[in-house]
Order: sequence, then C-alpha cells, then structure tokens
Amino acid sequence: MFNTVKKIIKYPRVTGDYPNKPLDSSLFIGKPEIDLSKCNRCGECLSRCPSNAIVMDKTSNNIGINYDECIFCALCEDVCQSEAVKMTNSFELAEKDKNKLRMNTLVIEEKNISDPDYEIICSDLKANIKKIFGRSLQIREVDSGSCNGCDTEINALNNPFNDIERLGISFVPSPRHADMLLVTGTAVRNMQNALIKAYNATPDPKIVVAVGACACSGGIFKDAYATSNGIDSIVPVDVYVPGCPPRPQAIIYGILKALDRVR
Amino acid sequence: MDNIIESKNMILTKLNSKLSETFSEDIYRSVVDNTNELYLEANPEHILEICTYINTTLGYPLISMFANDEQSLCDKYAVYYVFADREQGILLIIKTLVDPNKMEIRSITKKVHAAALYEREINDLFGIVPVGHPNPKRLVFHSNWPQAEHPLRKDFDVKHKLDFAKEETDFQKVTGEGVYEIPVGPIHAGIIEPGHFRFSVVGEPIINLEAQLYYTHKGIEKMCEGQSIERCLYVAERISGDETFANSLTYCQAIEKIAKVKIPTRAEYTRVVFAELERLTNHLGDLGGLCLDAAYGFATFQFRMMKGWAYWIADELCGMRFLRSVNKLGGVRQDFILGKELKTIEELKKIKSELEDTVKIIKSNSMFIDRVENTGILQTKIATDLNAVGPSGRASGLCFDVRKSFPYEAYKQLEFNIPKHNNGDINCRMNTKIKECFESIYLMIQAIETMPSGKLLEPVKTFEPYQCAFGLTEAPRGENIHWIMTGENNTIFRYKIRTPSFCNWPALCHAVKGNIVPDFPIINKSFNLSYAGNDL
Repeated sequence: MFNTVKKIIKYPRVTGDYPNKPLDSSLFIGKPEIDLSKCNRCGECLSRCPSNAIVMDKTSNNIGINYDECIFCALCEDVCQSEAVKMTNSFELAEKDKNKLRMNTLVIEEKNISDPDYEIICSDLKANIKKIFGRSLQIREVDSGSCNGCDTEINALNNPFNDIERLGISFVPSPRHADMLLVTGTAVRNMQNALIKAYNATPDPKIVVAVGACACSGGIFKDAYATSNGIDSIVPVDVYVPGCPPRPQAIIYGILKALDRVR
Repeated sequence: MDNIIESKNMILTKLNSKLSETFSEDIYRSVVDNTNELYLEANPEHILEICTYINTTLGYPLISMFANDEQSLCDKYAVYYVFADREQGILLIIKTLVDPNKMEIRSITKKVHAAALYEREINDLFGIVPVGHPNPKRLVFHSNWPQAEHPLRKDFDVKHKLDFAKEETDFQKVTGEGVYEIPVGPIHAGIIEPGHFRFSVVGEPIINLEAQLYYTHKGIEKMCEGQSIERCLYVAERISGDETFANSLTYCQAIEKIAKVKIPTRAEYTRVVFAELERLTNHLGDLGGLCLDAAYGFATFQFRMMKGWAYWIADELCGMRFLRSVNKLGGVRQDFILGKELKTIEELKKIKSELEDTVKIIKSNSMFIDRVENTGILQTKIATDLNAVGPSGRASGLCFDVRKSFPYEAYKQLEFNIPKHNNGDINCRMNTKIKECFESIYLMIQAIETMPSGKLLEPVKTFEPYQCAFGLTEAPRGENIHWIMTGENNTIFRYKIRTPSFCNWPALCHAVKGNIVPDFPIINKSFNLSYAGNDL
C-alpha cells in the first residue's frame, strides 16, 4: 500500500495537453510531400508505391499523393533520385471531405435525388448534432477488419499520456449508447453485416469516423476478394483520418474535427 | 560458419537415411535446401504412417502445413507437412502431390492432433478434402461464402467478389439439463478485434467454448501472389499490427535465404534491438491488460505508462511507433541507432527500475494473485499436442524459443535466458512475460553496447524463380513461420503465413474449460492472441 501511494506521488500527472498545446512532432514521420520543382516526373515512386497512392496526370504533367491511400512507409523518399519527395512531420491530417485528401478527385456518380428536401434536412441535422452533444461524446469503436494497429492506437487514447476523458470523450461498450462510431479496417466481407448492424443500432444523430488508410480507402489491402475499398462503400462517413496507423493525437484531432472543435 | 553447415548436413543425411530405410518404397526424392531444410517427396497413400512415425517415434512436432497450386510446374497440387527438430535446429518437410481430378488427401488429424486446423484451412482455401477428418467443418469461410469457391487456386481471380450465400452456421451442441449457450461477438465490448465465441455453460462454469474466428479475413496470402517481392514486405508488416517488426523480419529472413544474401553485422544487431523493443512493448501492454481485467487500476496505469515510454524509444529511434518501414530486404533502411545509444540505454534502465518496483507491488497484492493463480490452466499434454508456442507454451512447460533453437540475426552472440514455468495458469503466463521483459531490456542493452560499426544494407535485386525458403522468428507471441516460393520476374508465387496465434487459439479454448464465465476475459488477455494474425 505504501509503495502504491509512493508511486502515485512520484508520477502525479503524465498526461499531455494536446490539443490545447501543440505537440512536439519533430521526431515523427508524417505525410510525404513532393517538391514539384525538383521532381523530374520519372515515375519511379509511382510504380513502386506499395499502396498505389501516388498518381500522375499525364496531360497536365502534375504529380501528387492520395493521402487516404498512403501507408506512410517512406519508400517514395528512398527511391526518389532527385530528392523531391520528403517525409514531413505533419500528422494532423483528418478531413471531412475525402477529396481534400486526394490529388485526383473522386468522381461520384450524380444521382437525381427524388426528394430535394432530404439534403436540407441532413445539413440541418448535422448542424444540430454539435448543439445536442455539447462538449461530451460517447464513442463505440468497431474493428471491421484492420490489422490491429489502429485499434492499439485507439486503446492508447485511454493511456495516462492521452487520457481522452479529459476532453469529455469516453468509450462505451454498446453502439446503442454511442454518438459516434470509430471504424477501423477495410470492411472485410465477414464484417460488413456486423458493421451495418452496429451502424443501425447507433441512435440518430450519429457521426462515423474512418480511422486509418484501410478504413479511408482500403489502403494496402484494397481490391481483394474479401476486402472493400474503404468503409464509405458500406456506411456514410463524416471524417476521414488517414495514417497507417494514425497516431493517437491524430485520432483525437479527427474526433474533434468531427465535432467542429478544431478548425 | 562452415562447421555449422557441415554438422547440420550430417544430421540431415542421417535423418534422411533413417527415413529412407523405414519407408523405402514411399519416399521418392530428397533435397536439402538452405542448410537446414530437408524436403522429402512422399507417397500420398502412406502419408498417415510417415507423419505418425515422425511425430510419435521421432518426436518432431508439426509446426506448419499448407498446400500449393503447382499445376503450372508439375500439373498437380502439393501439400507440405512441416516438422521441426527444435533441439538440433532442423526442419523436415514432407511433400506429397495431389491429383487435380481427385482433390483428396488422407487426414492425419487422428494421429497428429495439431493438423486439425491446417487440414480444415486447406479444405477451405484449396478444396482439397481431408478424408477421415473427425471434424471437417469450415474454418476460414463463414456461411456467406459459396461452397464451391476456393480462392488460393491459381484460376481464382483475386479481384473477384463473390455473392453472399445464405446458410446457417452450426456450432457444437452441448445438451443436458441446465446447459445454456452464451453467444459473444463478433463486436466485443472492449476496443479489441472481432471474433465470435460460443460458450456452453452450466451455472457459472464453462463446459465448452467454440471460437469462430476469421472475421477479419482479408485474403493476404492470395493478395501477395504475383506481386513484387518489395511490395509484399509492406503487406507483411501489416499482417498483425503489434507484431509488425516480427513479421517483416520473418519475411526478410526467408527472402534473404532465397537470394543467398548475408546481411551486414550492424544490421543484424539493429534488428535484434527492434525485435526486442517490440517484445517489450507488447508484453508491457499485455501485463497492463491483465491488471485491467482484474480491475487493478493502479497497476494498469503503471504498465501503460511504461508502454508509453517504450513507444517514446521507438519514436526517438525511427519515428514510427509500430516500427514500420525499419526493415528492408537485405538489412535495415538507415542507421537508426547511431548517436542515440546512451539516451536509449538510459530510457531502458528507467523502464527496468520502474518495472521492478511495479512487479514487487502487484506480487504483494494477495487479492490480485488470488485471481490469477490456478485460473485458466493449460495442461502440458494439451499444449504439446496442439503445439502451443511462445510465452503461453513456456508457461505450460514447453521450454523452447526460436531464438535458441533456430538462432537468427545476432542472437547467437548475445546472452539471454528462456523462462520456464510448469503450472500453465495465468500467473505462470504473467511471470513468463515479466521475465521476458527483463531479458529483452538486457538483450537490447547488450546489442547496443556490442554493436560493430559498418554498413546497414546489402542490396538484393533479383531472385531466382521457383525457389523456396522458410523464415522463422520468435515474435512476441511465439514462433512465427513464413514460407515463400518465388515466381517469375521477382514476384511471389506462394506466401504461407503461420503466426503464433494460429497455434494458440485452440489452446485457449481448452484452457477456459471448467473456469467461470467472468474469468474468460482475463484468461483471454493472458494469452493475448492476435485475431488479424490468425485470420490473415
């Protein structure tokens, strides 16, 4: 007992103050960036990228990276002869619009929505979500076929360094108690049904956050017989958090972005 | 080095002549590959007798078993049975050919119990039926998968998405007065991976547990076929999130054997440092989880704090918390250790002294020890039959470690002990992991201090087609085996992954029997198996 108290006194508080104070990210490997002035468009990184995240537009001779597909492996930096690709330290990459993460924008089929009011209702609802949840949030995590990397990082949100409950956010055991679904993995064949059930069990209004390259786009596992290219082919997604896996702070950033608590 | 090759060669020659004498008619061909792998081609009619002889008379455990579609090479399918002699560090591989018009093998499960899951896996992925299997239920595919489709056959297109079939799944039925079933999952209450557990219970004690896994089946083995060898390294890193380094190391080891490349000594030591760092991080996480499931909050947060410190070391060394992109074929990506030696050793010593204090505190807490002692016992006999590996096996008296029996990288030059316990309960598994944490810290400090300077990468570019090799390493959860056969143009022809979790899942199902339902989470945590690593 005495030893226990001694330890509690020795480490009174180890929790960081992210996002109120910025994090020292000088050691991190964050997103890769291509310096267009140095790049000679040789296409080496393009052909060797393990997740085919680098794209080149032949007509405009423009090259770029789709961060929703990128697995942050730094191979492009290694293979670049002209040293145009650099891994940066930036890790706060979450976006509400997938196209903001992409160099080549997704062309989504335009459908005629029979009831025009539907869109307006939705946007009103979204605006209300923030009001209703206030500053507290209950999250249900769903692993839809990840490698367990993202889940370990989500677990790390509960460790003494991140302690997500200080932000009024907690994890709950059932989707019925949840305001937000935090989905990892690529929505594999055997989990699709469970994911849909969890989504339907979550009471409205609800937010879905896709965590990790697999959930955003399928990542390195896309285009296989048992995987899908991102969970947005199964359930609607509000915020995309790229990374393989994203750091705990990057996930916090994504969650807060979904609540409009960071700009 | 030459001495080792010679002595291994002698052992293999002896073994070969012994087997050829006993089964003179049934063994057609023998090849020695990669110094310690003996491939024998055997008559499929007598495979049961040969495997039983190797398993029971010679006492070699079955450590892996897989099939391969070799129709483009010899118009037949092949099934490989892999046995290991852990004392002498050799692998014995029995290969037998299967006629594509018949697609049947004789099941060896009744004699070699560890084969049960492998045969079911082969049946699902290749459609090769194990005749005489006591429980030929589907393993990899759930009821939504059409019966006649087998994705690892070469004529199956990897991008082909099949329609969902609608069938019911059968579970083992336990009947009797007062028996009821508790279904759990696939989505669990905690932040863990998906899997379905079906408990048959009377009152509180569990009579039977059937685990339906493969919810996270992604088709990794198929996905890698025909892909470049360089790209598959990154897939290997993503087999199981927290065993990133162990899996990439195993992959690199197999590929380097095929390319016949000796990696630089400094790279060998660097790999040891990272492999041990991963083991330390995982074990600290496991110990924290154990305390959490026993509702021992203080200890949980102590272990999580130490795990956080281990992640800091990883961040400082390579900028990646999960040690991704550290390995490269033929070495490591850059010199991660240079200039950071003293700081890393200092941090490790800090973790060590904190761990010593915390272990003292939890061991003097009788309420906690009461909970873990004699709970979830895995008997030595069951552990041997199922080939339980890693800390779970070592807690049940199976004292082997790939780092000792098949030394790789720089482990031969370093000094360390393998802990052994015999009781097989949670307490033993916990103590094994605590001991291994200290050994890992000791190994890392040794490796950093004795590391020679030099280059870190021996480039490997081209690979001979249709060569095969095993990669064997000790992952944090135990023995990790990858088998790779190269294809043309530096691609992968077949990639078989067998992670330690695959062996230990059935062991877990046995360990919970007779325990009460509320103890299941803590027993599960003491094994801490990977779902993704099992499901692939």
